[in-house]
This record gives sequence, C-alpha cells and structure tokens, in this order.
Amino acid sequence: MIMKTAFALFAALTLASAALAVEVGKPAPDFTAQDINGKTIHLSDYKGKIVVLESYNSDCPFCHNQYKTGAMQAMQRDLTAKGVVWLLVNSVNPKNFSHRTPEQAKAEMAQEKMDVTAWIDDSSGAVGHLYDMKTTPDMYVIDKDGVLVYEGAIDNQPDPVHDPSKAQNYVNAAIDALLAGKTVAVAETKPYGCSVKYAD
Amino acid sequence: VRRIGILFVACFCLAALTAHAAHTQAQLMLSADTARPGDTIWVGVDLKMEPAWHTYWKNPGAAGMATKIEWQLPPGITAGETQWPLPEKLPPAEVTTYGYNHEVVLLVPLKIAADLKPGPLLDLKAKVSWLECKEACIPAGTTVEAKLNIGRETKISTDAATIDLWKSKTPQTNDVYSLSAWWEKPANGDTRPLIIGNQPAMVAAKNVKYDSVDFFPDASDQFEIQAATEIISAYSADIRLRKLVKKYSGDWPKEVSGVFVTSVHGNPPQGIQVKFPISDKDPASEAVSRTGVAPVSNFSGQNMETGKMPVLPLMLLYAFIGGLILNIMPCVLPVIALKILGFINHGQHEPLRVRALGLVYTAGVLVSFLALAAVVIGVKAAGHHAGWGMQFGSPVFIVVLTTLVTLVSLNLFGVFEVNLGGQALSAAGQLASKQGAPGAFFNGLLATALATPCTAPFLAPALGFAFAQSSSLILLIFLFVGLGLAAPYVVLSWNPAWLKFLPKPGAWMEKFKIAMGFPMLATAVWLFNLAYDYYGKNVLWLGVFLVVVAFAAWIFGELFQRARARRGLALVIALILLIGGYAYALEDQLHWRTPMVIADATGSLQESPDGIHWQRWSPQAVTEARSEGRPVLVDFTADWCLTCQVNKKIAIEIPSVRQKLKELNAVALIGDYTHFPDDITAELNRYSRAGVPMVLVYPKDVDAQPIVLPEVLTPGIVLGALNRATKQ
Repeated sequence: MIMKTAFALFAALTLASAALAVEVGKPAPDFTAQDINGKTIHLSDYKGKIVVLESYNSDCPFCHNQYKTGAMQAMQRDLTAKGVVWLLVNSVNPKNFSHRTPEQAKAEMAQEKMDVTAWIDDSSGAVGHLYDMKTTPDMYVIDKDGVLVYEGAIDNQPDPVHDPSKAQNYVNAAIDALLAGKTVAVAETKPYGCSVKYAD
Repeated sequence: VRRIGILFVACFCLAALTAHAAHTQAQLMLSADTARPGDTIWVGVDLKMEPAWHTYWKNPGAAGMATKIEWQLPPGITAGETQWPLPEKLPPAEVTTYGYNHEVVLLVPLKIAADLKPGPLLDLKAKVSWLECKEACIPAGTTVEAKLNIGRETKISTDAATIDLWKSKTPQTNDVYSLSAWWEKPANGDTRPLIIGNQPAMVAAKNVKYDSVDFFPDASDQFEIQAATEIISAYSADIRLRKLVKKYSGDWPKEVSGVFVTSVHGNPPQGIQVKFPISDKDPASEAVSRTGVAPVSNFSGQNMETGKMPVLPLMLLYAFIGGLILNIMPCVLPVIALKILGFINHGQHEPLRVRALGLVYTAGVLVSFLALAAVVIGVKAAGHHAGWGMQFGSPVFIVVLTTLVTLVSLNLFGVFEVNLGGQALSAAGQLASKQGAPGAFFNGLLATALATPCTAPFLAPALGFAFAQSSSLILLIFLFVGLGLAAPYVVLSWNPAWLKFLPKPGAWMEKFKIAMGFPMLATAVWLFNLAYDYYGKNVLWLGVFLVVVAFAAWIFGELFQRARARRGLALVIALILLIGGYAYALEDQLHWRTPMVIADATGSLQESPDGIHWQRWSPQAVTEARSEGRPVLVDFTADWCLTCQVNKKIAIEIPSVRQKLKELNAVALIGDYTHFPDDITAELNRYSRAGVPMVLVYPKDVDAQPIVLPEVLTPGIVLGALNRATKQ
C-alpha cells in the first residue's frame, strides 16, 4: 500500500515535471535509454536531424492497424530514407503479456519488416512518462534544433479498422512542412489508441 | 521456446482480430413487440462483457473507442440519437477512460412513420462495433437483429422493464443545480483550469452533501477536459469542481458539454446532461444583485420568486435604524452617550471644534465597524468552501437565531445580564474623558465595542442578511449600522441647541429597556414560525427547548449573577438544563440538524392545497386501500435523497399525476426513510433495493404484484404504471 502510494506520488511528480518539460514549441527533453540491441541512445545524439518518437505496442489494435496494413512500415521506410531518425518506444511493463523481451522484439521487428532507427526498450516507462505518452500510438516530431513541433495522434481516424493510407496523417504533414521550411500547421492533436500499460 | 512465445502472441492477435465478440455478447432488445404507426419505441443494444472486460462510452477518454451502431432499417423507421447510460471512470489514473463493465444497454429511439401500413414482421438490423479491453484491447463487432410487428395496438415486450431500467441510468436533462462554468485563471501554456459550479444558493431548498461530484465531458477534437477532478465543494447548494482543460488546436473553447455526476454512498451515481458557455470569470463576482435577493427569500422561508422586492435599500434602512437604536440600548447609552453629550455640552462656545469632534467620533465608529466587517468577511472567506453557505440551506440557522433572539429579549427583560466586565467600562471612562480628538475617536471605538453584544431590534435581520452577502455588501451594511450609531451625535454636534429635546437619563431607561424586549420577543415568534416550515408540528420541541433555555437563563441571572451563595451550584444547574434540553428536545425529538416534515399517524400531508393527498405509509395502509379495490402509489423517500426530491418534483407532484391519481381514486402513501425505520428497510429488502428512492404502484387487482418503478422517474413512467395498475 505504502509502495503503491509512493509510486503514485512518484508518478504524479514525474508527470508533473513531464507536463512542464514537454510542450510543443519548446525544446524536447533529452533522455538516455537502451535499445533492444543493448546500445545506449541519447536523444541529443540526433541533434541536427528530425526525430520521430512512436509509442508502440503491437498487441494494441490501433497500432496493429497501422502495421497490418503496411502503412506504418512504408512511412518509416520513406522517412528514414529522407534522413529522419525514427525511435520506437515500447513502455509496456514486464508483467503485461504484451511486453517483449529484446529477443522477442528483434523477432517482431523482422517479422513486421519495421524500418526504424532504434527500438527503445522502455519497460520502466521512464521515456514514456517523461514525454507524457498517453496512448499507443502517440506520436512526437522533433525538429533539427531539438524543438518539439508535433505531438498527438498519428492520423485523424481514431479507430482500429480504417485504411491509414486514406486518412490524413499528421506526422507526415509535420515532417513535410519541416523539410519545406514551413511551420507545422497542426502541431498538437488528441492522441488516440490503447493505454500504454505502464508499470504500476 | 521464445519462438513459440512469439508464435503464440501472433496467433493471439490473429484470433483476436477475427473473433466475433470473443468477450462481449451483443443482442438487440425492443421495448414493444408490436408498435402502432406513429409510435416511438425504444431499442436497446445490449452488450454483455465477460468479467474484467469493458467497452467504452461515447467519449472513451484518454484511450479506447466509443461503441458504434450502424442501423439497417426498413423504410418508415428511423433511429434517433443513442442514449448512453452513465459510464464509470476506468483506471489507470494517468490514462483514465470512461466505459462499462459487465453490461450496458445503449438505447436508441425508433420513430415509426405514421403512414407505415401494418404488414409482415419488420427486420431491424444494426451493425455494432466496439473495442473490448481487459489488459489488452480487441476490436470486435457483430450484426444484431430483432423483429417488430406493426399493428393497431402497442404491445409492450418482455424486455420493456430492462429497457426502462437502463433508461433510468441515462443522464437526466433537467439541470436542477443551475450549473455554469468559468475559467479560473488565464492559460498556462496548453492547459487551463476550468471551474464548474453553481452560485451558492441560499434558498430554503434542501442542501445535500455528496460523497463525490464529477463531470464527464463530451469528446472534442479541439480540446480535452482531463479526467482528474478536484472537488472544491460537494454541497448541492454550493457545487464547485476544478477540471484541467488541455487545448490541441484553435481558440480556448467557449462552451462545454457533458454529464454532471453526483454520488451518495449506497446509491448509484446520478448523471445530468449539461451544456453551458464558459465565462471568463466567476459569475459570483458580477452577480451582486442576484445574491442580494436570495437570502431574504430564504429568511422568509419562501422561494426566490418572492424575493424581488428592493431588499438591499430596506436592509440598509434596517441597518441604519438598528444602529440608531443601539444608542439607547442599555449597554451603550448610560456610559457613552453621556460622555459624548458632555463634550458637546462643554464645547457650546466652540461650535466648529464641536463639529470636528462629532466627525472624529463618527470616524471612530466607522473604523471599528469596518474592522468588524473585515472579521466577518475573513470568517466567511475562510469558511466558504467548508460550507459557509450551508447554514442558509438548512434550518439550523433559524433555530440558532430564534434561540439567540429569545435570549436577547430575556436579557432586555432583565432576566440575566450581559456584562463585559466592569474593568472595561471604567477603563473606557478614563480614556474617553480625555479631551480633544483622541478622546472623541476613542469614544467611537468604544461605542462599537460596547454595542456588539447588544442586539437591537432591526439589527438582527440586517446583520443576518449581511452575513450572506458579498464582501462589498457586508461592508456597506456594517457602515450603515455605524452611521446609525453615530448619527445622533453628528446631528447634535451640528446643532447643540437640540440637546434640550433629549430625554435625561434616569429610571425611564430601565423601563424602556424592558419595553424593547417585546419587539425582540416578536422577532423570536416570527423566526419560530419560519421554523415550522422545516419541522412541521415537531416545532413544538423547539418551543420546549426555548422554555428550558429561558429557565436556565433565569437561574443563571438570578441565582448566579445576582446571588451571593451557592453560585457554582446554580451555574451547574443552568448548564445541565441547557445541555439536557439541547440533547433531548433539539437532538432527540426535533432532529434539528436533519429536519423533515412528518405527517402524524392519521393526517395527510399535502404540499399545496391542490397537491397530492399523501398519507403515511404502513403495510396496513396498503392492505386497507387494496381491500377497497383502489390502486396504491407508494413513494419511499428520504430527506437526504436528492433523487427522491427530484423524482417528486418532476414526476410525481405534478398536475398530470395528481389528476390521474384522482381519476383512478388511487391512494398515495409516503414512506419516510430519513431515519431508517426498520419496517421500510424490510420493505426495501423485499424488492432487493439497497435504499430509496423506491416507488411502488399496486394494481387494483389484489393478487397482482406491485409494479416497481425505476429509480429515476419521468412523468411518463409514473403515468404508464398507474395506467397499467388499473388495466390488470
């Protein structure tokens, strides 16, 4: 009970600090994390490049819909080819059956033909909480100067059954604007999807 | 092994996506098997979830997806807007969603065209899709169907009761709380605190404290009203809760809609559908005139409509006259008046100086009244959210005031004294006898200090009124009392010659004091009369208590204050009388803090001359009425049950139901559950209800079972049940 209260307090504090730290138009907070290959990743390593953060859980039908239609992989391929860094963040806690060990994650990445820069193993929820990731998928776009320019839903169809290629994709739109040197028109939307399944 | 694990996961996902309603069963139910052209019937989409699985509300919240219904209806039948029963908030706290566990029936009105011809059975179909979640979520869906007959007469189906039950769980549309919303502060980045509440009402309506109040917002793309709710005040007369609004795009919303939810322990939560514009600031800061009217209507025990007389000027006049009369009240007059009259007398030859001193004296009085007002405002500000307004929503205030006014009149009659101690008075004499401005100023302060324990006629209502006001009005009323107190001296200092019109102090003052006791007594009687509205015949016990208090006051005055021996014993007896009288008369008999109107055993209880002729419920009363072949309506209610009051107001004590009861020669019985009588508990248990509201309609046919109405009533439900009660 005390543990739970303490955790809730901790979570509230982290959330509170995250709420202060993450804001569209402000510098995106740096983090240090491990990817599934054991490599240490600092967000600051990618300064000078556009970075996409994707909160991920393939058992979540909203994520799965993006992957089973191949839309997400196509987008990853397309953007990484343009020099964009794509960091997939999996914050599902180890007790949840949707949790993936690094081995399972590597297999899933190969099977789903994902094309991401790194899959961050965030079982502790540190990155997810820092960015106040609410759902899977919850998307973040950070510009070359390290400023958060987009946060929210991947597209304008908050359901797990639509054809993503026909939806209006906010992440693509944001990156197109950045690459064209324009300001991002839709900078913030309400994320939709499943809850992240943080540890509690 | 790991490979198998992945395979398992993959299979699971595959299975999940193809499974039809793996964890949720859907079916369609109709309120009628046969409907007439022109009817509107209700169709329920019943979703039964396996334990621990849930589906979502129309606003799923931070995650999830609302259940969707796509109708495939034959021509001539059109579906209306889906009515969503009140959902629950589902954890985890950081991603709160709104949804349903176990079961939900989503309700949709179906309008049957008036020109539809009776014919073969019609197929009603709906494609229902939902997201069901436990630890993981699975999108699922199915097509549900039902058959409807179009005929000459409506035939209710066996599912009608279930549909009625779920209809009772949908939010009501009638905002009994007069809620509104306003921004608390300017935005901080993308978030901004929003207050939803009502203006503290001082109407005599019952003031209920809820265990919790909440607001479930409708969904919006532009902004999100976050799920966390900070409850500032949960009294029905002073609702206040804080929500954080996060903006995604566009301007800050100008309007908010959703469901306001209240819950009281042991009752299911109640929802009210609301929609209101968001103001830029707390409307209380603007609505002085509005709050200026309400409390007086409370004071006279009537509703707000009657409070439209210009109350404020009248109260200011009362305050002024009250202050004026304070001058000749025994606690002020003998000491202060003479001193001040002294400075006026002495200064006859220096008229300018006397005028100046008169003004300085006035300033002293006003400054001290400002200080008093500040104390009142401070207490009020500190107590506001703790429920200061509450005392006006309850008769407790009237009981306290009646007792106080009675004591004041006893004091005037000389039964006992209020003395702030001789030291204060002699010290005052010393200081006030100083000449010049400081002396006059101090006289002003002292006059106020001495006046405070002394209530004059007119002053009580003005001060009672003042306590309920905004800060500026409190200041104004106190200043007027001060002006009243100072007025004679200002007038006299301007024209000292008028001194000769003043009566000389003497024995007449004592007589005057006693004479002033009678208006105070009259005030007490008037207040006592107000208490009748709350306690009915039980108000007798307030009278008994007042007599005990009077007797205790006499013992205190005669055998303690004026006695030489055994004073301690007298004090103890006075205290025992007070405490005993309070415990027995007020607590035990009157239940003064939770009043209710009790009908006596035989008499009826009518709210108004043409109101329902209620009689007290008892099993015998039911049997008796049924043996006469009369249908019976029983309303089990309680004072603390807001739903019961709302039911009564909107669905029972209304002209159409009154008329129907008369037509059917029905007997109306009321069972008061305020103090949990055992016989009503037993009756509630019999119908598997944990508490009130419970409304029963016993059919004319003696052998038929009573119809148990849903917890939340509409006029249609009550009238329908009464109709059925006579048909059978």
